[in-house]
Amino acid sequence: MEQRLRQEAKTLLEQGKVDYIIGFEQGSLKFTTAPLITKDKGDTDRLVINPFIVNNLSVYLTDIEGRVGIVAKGCDSRSIVSLIQDNKVNREEVVIIGIPCPGIIDLSKIEQLVGKDRDELDDITRDGNRVVVTVGSKKKDFPITEVLFDNCLGCEFPTPQEYDVLLGEPSTPVADKTVSRAKIETLEGMTQEQRWQFWEEEFSRCIRCYACRNICPACFCQRCFVEESEPQWILPIPQWQDNLIFQAIRNIHVAGRCTDCGECDRACPVNIPLRSLTKEMYDLVDELFHYKSGMDKDAPPLMTAYEAEEAEDFIR
Amino acid sequence: MTITDISQRRRFLAKDNVYLPHITIVEKIIDETPTVRTFHLNFKDEKLKKEFTFDSGQFAELSVFGIGEATFCISSSPTRSDHLECAINKVGKVTNALHRLGVGAEIGFRGPYGNSFPLDFLQGKNLVFVAGGIGLAPLRSLIWNVLDNRDKYKNIDIIYGARSPADLCFKYDSDAWEKDKTVSMVTTVDKGDENWTGREGFVPAVLEQVAPSANNAVAVVCGPPIMIRFTFPVLEKLGFAPEQMITTLEKRMKCGVGKCGRCNIGNLYVCRDGPVFTYAQIKNFISSEY
Amino acid sequence: MANRKINKRDIEKLLNQWGQEFTVLAPSKESGIATMSKWNGKHANFLDWYRNTVIPPKGNFFPSMERMFNFQKDKEGYHLELPTSNEQKQLIFGIRPCDAKSLAILDMTFKDAYEDPYYLPKRKNALLVGLGCTNPCDSCFCTSLGINPAESSDVDLMLIDIGDEFLIEEVTDKGKKLIAAASGVEEASEADEAKAKEAKEASYNKVTRKIDTEDIKRKLSSSFDNQDFWEEIAAKCISCGICTFLCPTCYCFDINDELAKGLGARFRSWDSCAFPIYTKMPMENPREEKWRRVRQKVYHKYGFYPMNFGVIACTGCGRCIRQCPVNWDITQTLDILPAEA
Repeated sequence: MEQRLRQEAKTLLEQGKVDYIIGFEQGSLKFTTAPLITKDKGDTDRLVINPFIVNNLSVYLTDIEGRVGIVAKGCDSRSIVSLIQDNKVNREEVVIIGIPCPGIIDLSKIEQLVGKDRDELDDITRDGNRVVVTVGSKKKDFPITEVLFDNCLGCEFPTPQEYDVLLGEPSTPVADKTVSRAKIETLEGMTQEQRWQFWEEEFSRCIRCYACRNICPACFCQRCFVEESEPQWILPIPQWQDNLIFQAIRNIHVAGRCTDCGECDRACPVNIPLRSLTKEMYDLVDELFHYKSGMDKDAPPLMTAYEAEEAEDFIR
Repeated sequence: MTITDISQRRRFLAKDNVYLPHITIVEKIIDETPTVRTFHLNFKDEKLKKEFTFDSGQFAELSVFGIGEATFCISSSPTRSDHLECAINKVGKVTNALHRLGVGAEIGFRGPYGNSFPLDFLQGKNLVFVAGGIGLAPLRSLIWNVLDNRDKYKNIDIIYGARSPADLCFKYDSDAWEKDKTVSMVTTVDKGDENWTGREGFVPAVLEQVAPSANNAVAVVCGPPIMIRFTFPVLEKLGFAPEQMITTLEKRMKCGVGKCGRCNIGNLYVCRDGPVFTYAQIKNFISSEY
Repeated sequence: MANRKINKRDIEKLLNQWGQEFTVLAPSKESGIATMSKWNGKHANFLDWYRNTVIPPKGNFFPSMERMFNFQKDKEGYHLELPTSNEQKQLIFGIRPCDAKSLAILDMTFKDAYEDPYYLPKRKNALLVGLGCTNPCDSCFCTSLGINPAESSDVDLMLIDIGDEFLIEEVTDKGKKLIAAASGVEEASEADEAKAKEAKEASYNKVTRKIDTEDIKRKLSSSFDNQDFWEEIAAKCISCGICTFLCPTCYCFDINDELAKGLGARFRSWDSCAFPIYTKMPMENPREEKWRRVRQKVYHKYGFYPMNFGVIACTGCGRCIRQCPVNWDITQTLDILPAEA
């Protein structure tokens, strides 16, 4: 698949069909990949496909000028469709190189299971439904349901819905919804006071780095509401109350655009379980509006369309 | 270490805390243009009122408590120190809040910060002041400073322009300078209105027409960045060397004391190594982002 | 004067003893990430897993949110009040040499000209007990910046791992006083000293990531205006604040007021040169484009700070590399700096 990807990317650049190729290349740390954005067809040999291609590359589409050939997994392609729905991206200006996604490995889960940090591991390989971790001469294997990202475990559409080229056979969802929603179920089981206290503790760690917002393809506002000073919606000071409101409003703004790619959760440097909010919003959108984001590029964005028969039971 | 040694700079710290403002009271408000107001301020503390002094070109951080702080040059001259004056242009949160205040309101004041115009260097020379819009505010401090010690300086040319007649600030000053026989004053607007009988033209163009001599002269320039960038080539054409051109730069500032990091141009901080710079220094800036 | 040593099993007792006099901060993983938190008084298991914290020790002296003063308005006008300072001294146990050096680097800015009234008192009141690394990460590159991962002159006491025990080096007089009455501390033998020397060398050699600071100095002076290079380098950066906030030597801050019902306070909080509005003025923004901001960050740390203070504002802790969501790597950038404009 990697060879085909490199060939496709090279051909696209050679034939002048795109100005940029956006894909993944080997990162500077073990078991890490980094986004590769290039105009040079010589760089296409650096493109990789492996179990660690976690980034949602569609975040770059709103900043780049020109036609782009972009590598997209299932969730990424839906983000691209969502951007097309919002008129931020022109369908004719992207060539979507789709990758049927078998699920991405969460290094922090492996670290916890093995009890070692990532740079002390020698190898991590995927073998069908198991993942084998090698440290020196010792090997340990785990079922993929224990090491994939939570959102990969609940993914319903691992194969891109919208693509120009599909590299490989469509993959089947792992679909372990229990793990995917485990943290949310725990929260729903709490009382309101307990939940309030839980979030106060979590958001006290927030340093307002805005990685969650900047890594999200759906957050494409030129000027975020946080940066407004007239009126001042929330303070730029990282008090837990302002941090919580920031996240709550951000979720409302991306409702119907979020595809549960899990990037915000992964990017957070202080381990705030942001996906407990985004996934909840994602499921609410499904429940209330029977809408899954990024499935139909011709559909209007969720919050801009209204049907007369829509549910009104939340209006009291 | 190339950073300016400011250990000798005058400081008036409240409770040894450089971030703690003094309280000043608004004594008078003058409407200069639809968006610019001059505030006359005085310290609430009697002792500080008597002792406070500064140099032309320095700036202060004014606070509206609860809204925030912003940087303003002190536009009054240290030779007329019964009160302080700052010109405030309504462009954002803090300046809008300042404009909503009336006489008697309390404002926080931190300063004076920054370096100042080099009076020693200017003495005995012909001075050419070139200002645009509210850019006259820092120069005004220097002009009155110079006029109050008139015999120390030679010829004085002032070229002042604004976008329109309504945007001309400090009309009471330009009137006084027009009447002063030891000063040659030229006012211009980019575009006049039906009542305007004076000159029309951009400041750099008018400067070229007036063509002050560069012999034993120093030009002091202040205005919007684009005006400054167009004025320097004109001065060069007129024969001014880079050391003979002085300006005062503006950047987004918060702390005013070289710690918060945001006003830097290369390794220099506009709040501590500036805001007054010569064109010779600017030409050496690592970055053109001024 | 020989050094002392302590058995790893006795660290708990020592921390508890110190806890009588100081607020002891030690590594903890309770929130899922490694942090320096108030010592729980229970066990020193952190010695088994501790490598380094996510938030650097600058957070203890220059917190992400700090109250500068309170204000209140009554009929007489405004009253400004400084917050009451916390009297109890901090003891940070387990600070790494890279982070200890970073505090010395930060001191230069906060001491310069106008002394910072919030950072400096905390710094004066704190005791640092350093812990030498035995297992540097693959993102560490401290050795290229003149730091030995198991040695430090920027702490009060330095603990070096020699097997079941720590060798204790007294670095300052404060450290000497601290360890004088400590429980469980013995004299170290010559063999112990030799083991410590070996340990220092071993740690030094384990750091594999390297940068050439002399080469970088040369190339920086010519590559400032190379817009093509910087645009390419900056392409994948997402302009978040992770690298700057987690960097132990970054210190940019913002000042904001909060007001509610006539009572208010002025805070300072971490800010980042990577944010698009960091330098925004009403009429223009000198760093509107992302590549300018990325360039500013590299130059400030490796160019401008050395010009002002004679030291590179980086200690090779590697947090920026490890935590960046798009694996933007400063050592890679510095390696491929163009030699010409």
